[in-house]
Amino acid sequence: MAMTDTEVEEGAPADDTPPAHPVLDLPDPWPKGTDHKFVGSLFVAAALVFLLAGVAIALLMRAQLSSADADILGDRTYRQLFTMHGVMSVFLFLLPVWLGLGSAIVPLQIGASRLAFPRLHAMAFWLFLGGGAMVVAAPALSDVFHGWALSDPIPVKLGLPGQGPDFLLLGLIVVCMAAILVVVNILVTILQLRAPAMSLRRIPIFSWSIMVSGAVLLLALPILIGAFGLLFVDRHYGSSLFSGFTGSRGGNPLIWPRIFWFGAYPVLWALLIPALGVVSEIVATFAGRPLFSRDRASAAIAGVGVLSFAGWGSEVSTLPRARVLFVIGALAVLAPVASLVVNWLATLRMAGKEGDRDALRANFMATPMLWALGMVPVLALGLAASAVSALDAGRDAHANYWQVGQQHGLFFGAASIGAAAALSFWGPKLWGRRLSDAMAKLEILAVVGGTLLTVLGMPLLGAQDMLVHTSTFDSGDDWALGNLVVTAGAAIVGLGLLLVLLDVAGNVLARRGRVAGADPWGGHTLEWATTSPPPIHNFDALPEIRSGTPLLDLRTAQPWATPSDSDLVPEGQSS
Amino acid sequence: MSMVAVSTTADNLPVPASGMAPLVLPTGAPQPGPVPGRPRAGTSTIGTLLFVTADFMVLAAIVAVYLAIKEGSVTWPPRGVHVGTYIPTMITITAVMSAFSMQWCLFAARRNDGRNAAMALGLTLFLGLAIMNLDWLTFVRSGFGFNDHPYGTLYDVLIGFHLLHALAAFLVVLMLAFRTVAGHFTGDRHDALRAGAAFWQYTNVVWFVVVTVLFILSRHG
Repeated sequence: MAMTDTEVEEGAPADDTPPAHPVLDLPDPWPKGTDHKFVGSLFVAAALVFLLAGVAIALLMRAQLSSADADILGDRTYRQLFTMHGVMSVFLFLLPVWLGLGSAIVPLQIGASRLAFPRLHAMAFWLFLGGGAMVVAAPALSDVFHGWALSDPIPVKLGLPGQGPDFLLLGLIVVCMAAILVVVNILVTILQLRAPAMSLRRIPIFSWSIMVSGAVLLLALPILIGAFGLLFVDRHYGSSLFSGFTGSRGGNPLIWPRIFWFGAYPVLWALLIPALGVVSEIVATFAGRPLFSRDRASAAIAGVGVLSFAGWGSEVSTLPRARVLFVIGALAVLAPVASLVVNWLATLRMAGKEGDRDALRANFMATPMLWALGMVPVLALGLAASAVSALDAGRDAHANYWQVGQQHGLFFGAASIGAAAALSFWGPKLWGRRLSDAMAKLEILAVVGGTLLTVLGMPLLGAQDMLVHTSTFDSGDDWALGNLVVTAGAAIVGLGLLLVLLDVAGNVLARRGRVAGADPWGGHTLEWATTSPPPIHNFDALPEIRSGTPLLDLRTAQPWATPSDSDLVPEGQSS
Repeated sequence: MSMVAVSTTADNLPVPASGMAPLVLPTGAPQPGPVPGRPRAGTSTIGTLLFVTADFMVLAAIVAVYLAIKEGSVTWPPRGVHVGTYIPTMITITAVMSAFSMQWCLFAARRNDGRNAAMALGLTLFLGLAIMNLDWLTFVRSGFGFNDHPYGTLYDVLIGFHLLHALAAFLVVLMLAFRTVAGHFTGDRHDALRAGAAFWQYTNVVWFVVVTVLFILSRHG
C-alpha cells in the first residue's frame, strides 16, 4: 500500500528517482538470470533431472527385488542405491520442485513484480545445484550411509572409511541452506510485495500453502543442518557425539534418529502441503467457483503445518515412554488433510448444484483436473496407511514395508502427482506453450495407476513382514507376488514419468506445443491476468482486487468474497 | 490506503476472453502494475529476521543434542573440566555494551545524524573485535581438547558457532559503517542499517544461549 502511495501518486516513472544505493547500481548483464520465473523454472528443470535419476535407481532396486533369489545388484550396491533413492527423492526432487514452482508462481499470484531478493534467489539456485552435485557424487567416492535417515552405521566410527559420507553430509547441508534462502525470499515477498488490496486472507490458496510449507521448512530444515553438521564433525574431526556409549567420555548413539526425525518428519509434510494447495487451486478453477469454505481450507493447510511437528517420534523405535503422545501427534495431522479433501468434494458438489452440469463435466476432462482427481485416491490410500502406521508408532509398521508403502503413497505419490498437476496447470503460464492433452491422458493413467499398484503392493509386503532394508529374498518367503506387483507398478510409473519428460521436452523446449493464451483455463487468480509467458516485470496493469478470486469476480460480477462463505446462508439471516 | 474507486453495478463488468491481457478495470482505467525495482520499507529487516529464525533453529538442534547427551551422562561436565566464569562474563558484558552501541546507531540514524551513527558503528566494531578475541581465548584456555569428550566437542562447536556469527556480523557492520560514512542512509531510508542491527542483536542472543547452556546449565545433580 505504502509503495503505491509514495511512488506512483506523482505519476513519475520509476526511472526518474535516483537509485537508493549508487555504489551497487551496476548494469545487469543478464536480467533473466535473476527473474523469478526463469530461476524457478531452472529449479523445476533440475528437479526433473534428479527425478529421472532417482526413478532410474528405484527401477534398478525393483529389478533386484522383482523375483526371489535375484542377483542383479548385490547387497552392497543395493544399500548404496537405497540411500541415494531416498535422499534424491526428498532433497533433490520434491524440495526443489516446490521451491521452483513456489518462487515462479507466488509473485504472479499475489500481484508482485518480482521476488523480494532476486539476486539471492539466483544465488540459491546455483548453490542448490552445487550441493546436489556433491550429493550425487558422494557414493562414487566411497560407500555412504545405509538408508536416507543416515542411521546405519551409527556409531559411525566403526565403519565407512573414506570421503563419501562426508561429501553427502556437506552436499545436504548446502542443499538445505539454499532451500532456506529460497524460503526466506518467498516469505518476504508474500509479506511485503503483495498488490494493493491483496490481504493475507485473499492470497490464492496455492500461495497460502507455499507460505505454510515455507514456514515449516524454515523451522525444520535448520534442524537437519545442525544434525548433519554435528554428524560431519563426528566423522571428520573424530569426536564421538553419536558414537560410544552413554557416560562422560562418549556420546549417545540413540540421539541420532531422534534429532534426524525431529527435522525430517515436518519436512516430509512440508513437501506434501503445496500439493494440497495445487489441488485446491485446480479443483476450484475447473469447478468455476471459489473453493468451498476457503477460510476453513486455509485453516486446514495451516493446521497440517502446525501439527507436522507433533508426530516425529512415531518414526523412532527407541522412545517407548512417549509413544502415546506420538501416536496422537501422527494421527492428529491426518485430520486437517482429510477435512481439506472434504472441501474439494464440496466445491465440486456446489458447482454441480449451481452451474451448468455439462460445462462442469467437460471441465472434469481438462488435463490439470485429471491430475488433481488422480491425486485424490493416492492421497486417500496414503492417509489410510498412515493412520494404521501411526497407531503402531515406533514398532513393526515402521520397520517393514508398511512404512515404505505409507511414505511412497503420502509423501512421494501424492506430492509428486500434485507437482505434475501443477506443471500441467502453470506450465502454459510460465513457458507460453501447452503440454499435450492426448499424451497427458496416458501419463496420468501410467503415473496414477502405477503409483496405486506400488502403494497397494507395499503394505501387503509389510503385512507379510518384509523388512525395509531387505535387498534379496528366497522363494520360501512367499513375497514373490507382492514384489512383482510393486515392481510392475514402479515400471509403469517410470514409463509415465518418461512420457512427462518427453511431453515437456517436445512441447516446451522444442516449442511444438500449442501457444497458450493468457488464460487457458479460465483461472481465478492474478497470474492469469498477464501474458503467457509474463513479461519480466510480470504485469503491465492489475485487475482490481476485491476478493481472493479477482478474475472470477470480473467474469461473474458477483461479490463472492464476503467474509464468511456466502454459499451457506446461516439460519435466521437473509443474505 | 490506495483504494480504487470501483463501480459496483454488475452489468458493466467486462468479461475477459481467453487470451486477452491486460484486463481493464470496471472503471475503465487500468490500475498501474506493481512498481519494479523498489521493495517496501522494512523488507531487508523482515528478511533478516526470517533468516535469523532459521539460523536459531540450527543452534536449537545443537543445543538439543547437548542436552540429550548431558541427560544421559553420569558426570557433567566430565571429570577434570573446570570452566571458568571470568572470560564468559567478560564476553557477556561486552555483548550487552555492543547491544547498546548498536541501538545508539539506530537512534542516530532515525534523527538523520550521520556523525553519531558512524561513531556508534565504530564503537560497535571495536566491541565486536573484543568479543571475537575473547571467543578465541575461551578456545585456547579451555584446558581440554576437541575430541576429549562430548562436552569438549560441543563446547568448541557452540563457541565456534558464536565466533562465526560474530565474524559475519562484524563484516556486515563494517560494510554498513562505510556506507554510513558515504552518506547512503537518510532518516527515512536506512533499511540496511536496521537489518544489520537486527543481525548484530541476534548474534548477542546466540551468545546468551551459548553461555546459558555451556556455563550455567552445565552443572547437574
